[in-house]
Amino acid sequence: MLNVRVFRTWTLCVLFSIVVVLGAGCSLGDDDDNGGDDAANTGATENGEAAGQAGGDGGLLQQVQDRGTLRCGVNDAVPGFGFVGEDGEPQGFDIDFCKAVAAAVLGDAEAVEYTPLTAEQRFTALQSGEIDVLIRNTTYTSSRDGTEGARFLHTTFYDGQGMMVRADSGYESLEDLAGETICVLSGTTTELNLESQFQALGVDYTPLAFEDNEPLQAAFVEERCGAWTSDKSQLAGIRSSWPEDQGGPDGLVILDETMSKEPLGPVVSDGDDQWADAVNWAVIATIQAEEFGLDSTNVEQGSDDPEIQRFLGQPVEGEPFDPGLGLPTDFAVAVVSQVGNYGEIFDRNVGADSALELPRDLNALWTDGGLQYAPPYR
Amino acid sequence: MTAATASTTRRPPFWRNVRVLRVAFQAVFVVAVAGFLLFLLDNVVYNLERRGFPTGLDSFDYLKQPAGFAIPDSDFRSTQSLGDALLVGVQNTIKVALLGIVLATVLGVLIGVARLSTNWLVRKAAAVYVETFRNIPVLVIILFWYLGVMIRLPPIREAVEALDLVAVSNRGIVIPWFDQVGGGAAFGVVALVALAAAAGVWVWRTRRFDRTGEPHRRGLWAGAVLLAVLAVGFVATGRPWTLDTPEVGELSTSGGFRLAPEYAALLIALSLYTASHIAEIVRGSILAVPRGQAEAAGALGLSGFQRMRFVVLPQAFRISVPPISNQYLNLVKNSSLGVAISYYEATKVTQVSIAQSAPAVQAIALLMAIYLAFSLTIAAVTNLVNRRLTLRGRA
Repeated sequence: MLNVRVFRTWTLCVLFSIVVVLGAGCSLGDDDDNGGDDAANTGATENGEAAGQAGGDGGLLQQVQDRGTLRCGVNDAVPGFGFVGEDGEPQGFDIDFCKAVAAAVLGDAEAVEYTPLTAEQRFTALQSGEIDVLIRNTTYTSSRDGTEGARFLHTTFYDGQGMMVRADSGYESLEDLAGETICVLSGTTTELNLESQFQALGVDYTPLAFEDNEPLQAAFVEERCGAWTSDKSQLAGIRSSWPEDQGGPDGLVILDETMSKEPLGPVVSDGDDQWADAVNWAVIATIQAEEFGLDSTNVEQGSDDPEIQRFLGQPVEGEPFDPGLGLPTDFAVAVVSQVGNYGEIFDRNVGADSALELPRDLNALWTDGGLQYAPPYR
Repeated sequence: MTAATASTTRRPPFWRNVRVLRVAFQAVFVVAVAGFLLFLLDNVVYNLERRGFPTGLDSFDYLKQPAGFAIPDSDFRSTQSLGDALLVGVQNTIKVALLGIVLATVLGVLIGVARLSTNWLVRKAAAVYVETFRNIPVLVIILFWYLGVMIRLPPIREAVEALDLVAVSNRGIVIPWFDQVGGGAAFGVVALVALAAAAGVWVWRTRRFDRTGEPHRRGLWAGAVLLAVLAVGFVATGRPWTLDTPEVGELSTSGGFRLAPEYAALLIALSLYTASHIAEIVRGSILAVPRGQAEAAGALGLSGFQRMRFVVLPQAFRISVPPISNQYLNLVKNSSLGVAISYYEATKVTQVSIAQSAPAVQAIALLMAIYLAFSLTIAAVTNLVNRRLTLRGRA
């Protein structure tokens, strides 16, 4: 009897120690984020502080390069921006920017591991380090920048919130929607804008907020709600692929009113400046390339223009120009040759060559009256 | 003499002393558990601080921030705080849980009894019901009732109305409800009087039954008195309530009591699912009552209903209380699946709050505490019932 009892207690203790050791192991795995220092928890604090300030040699950039793949948080349900194509591969405007970052950092646009996220999951995924970068039509706002621990980078798409209704509903403005039920994705800026806009207009309405686009679309199809609000580009994407038995794209109308500013762009975690710079300049490179007139067909030919040579990392007076971003000097060539310049990405996914046929509008280059403007590469 | 011999033999060293070992191992175990939990907490706090997130008790101040989002079917305003939003969510959880528990219990008992019916059709129908709902994941049942039934009801402009009393559309199912038009206080007094009268009649019938042994029919008597007093009082106080029937408008309905499709789908799905489990518990509990009890009751000349009502069910009930209380806990916890169909219960509100910049760890911890409170409350209530029902052993 005694022996059995003692034996059981011993087993418990041993099992328990194993659990504790495993737990410690996990946390050490976490600590690798800082500096790859495998020392026990005692050393972790200094590591954390060092990494927090400088990004260090063991920052996310180094980790991504060691890993060989980029973990990109994306959308999988918005045609044109982030969705699963007919071949089963993710594609879209946001997906192409994941590829651009992978091309810049790793030299291979296909070395991306996509993580589909809901609007509600996205910041938690970023904070916890589950993804390296979030490119999921995410609006840049002050409180997200502040309290979510997120760092917003160069805006890839200047959008605005719109309202979509059935063509046969006869609605022409937001005021017409008084008393109507309006579908919206929960956890988005759209949900907040909807409330504040309708409060300001003094129009009564009932919100119906879903986690995902699929049940939302089902509710809209069955007329559970009479209007659908989201970023205009998203609405255009959904409208373009609206099923024919529901009247096709012509069965829906996007109202003219723009309810808010929605600058969408890539987001990284606070605290790793080197990684943020790398992602930022991968995006800027696509815009800069368009400004220079470089695209996927001609970028590899190089140029005689010293400014373009600097941008492409061609040797100028013997040495290629290195701005110290931690990226290969010829990263722009990889980005543009494998993914294309900003105009190509836009046209292919959401612009003239796509089903969405969105105009460039605010997203034209600054030289064409738009807002896309690349800081000088020097 | 024996004692003296024992004391002269060498005592075993303390590491072989059973009592010392028992205490020592338990102490080590407690310290290890506490250490592990502290380690986890420290890990969370450390990692949160490393990423620049607030920790400590004042990080719960997020509850005072304005919510910014609206909650359908509530008086909640978006200028109210996230804490208020969470309270609305908790209320919605309670709304679906309480009614769900009542419906699931009634349906579960009926079907549990039906499974033991001597009627072949009734027995088999109940078996099909139980096997169907017990073997489908509750989330699938919820999605079926929402995406497959509720939102496929006719759109609002084609709403179906029956006798001007019920209006059915995918914006809600509306039934007539009472509308107070005045004299509430006076009618409240009448209601109290009616209750007191009914209670008095109940006691009188019970005493008479104890004295004479004639059937008491106290439920019938008390109910009749209650209704009679209420009816007289209703007229006497100037008809303070009217029946509010639904009106179908262009975009929504007004009047009556409206069941939102999201609420209705969650309530129906949870009730049907939980009822199938309760039915099995009821059936098992009835079978656990020794056959001799029913046979003895039959020998005394009790009818089938009386055997069930007075002999078998009271004993079965005692057996079934603990497992049924587990089902109540499950129902409350399953109500969190309302997130899938846009029903704003506590989990949905928490999720939306996190997405709108509430700190995730704190908000989820609070949500866990809320469900823990629900579960402990239900457990406490059912334990109380259980204790009152337990057979007192003959000491």
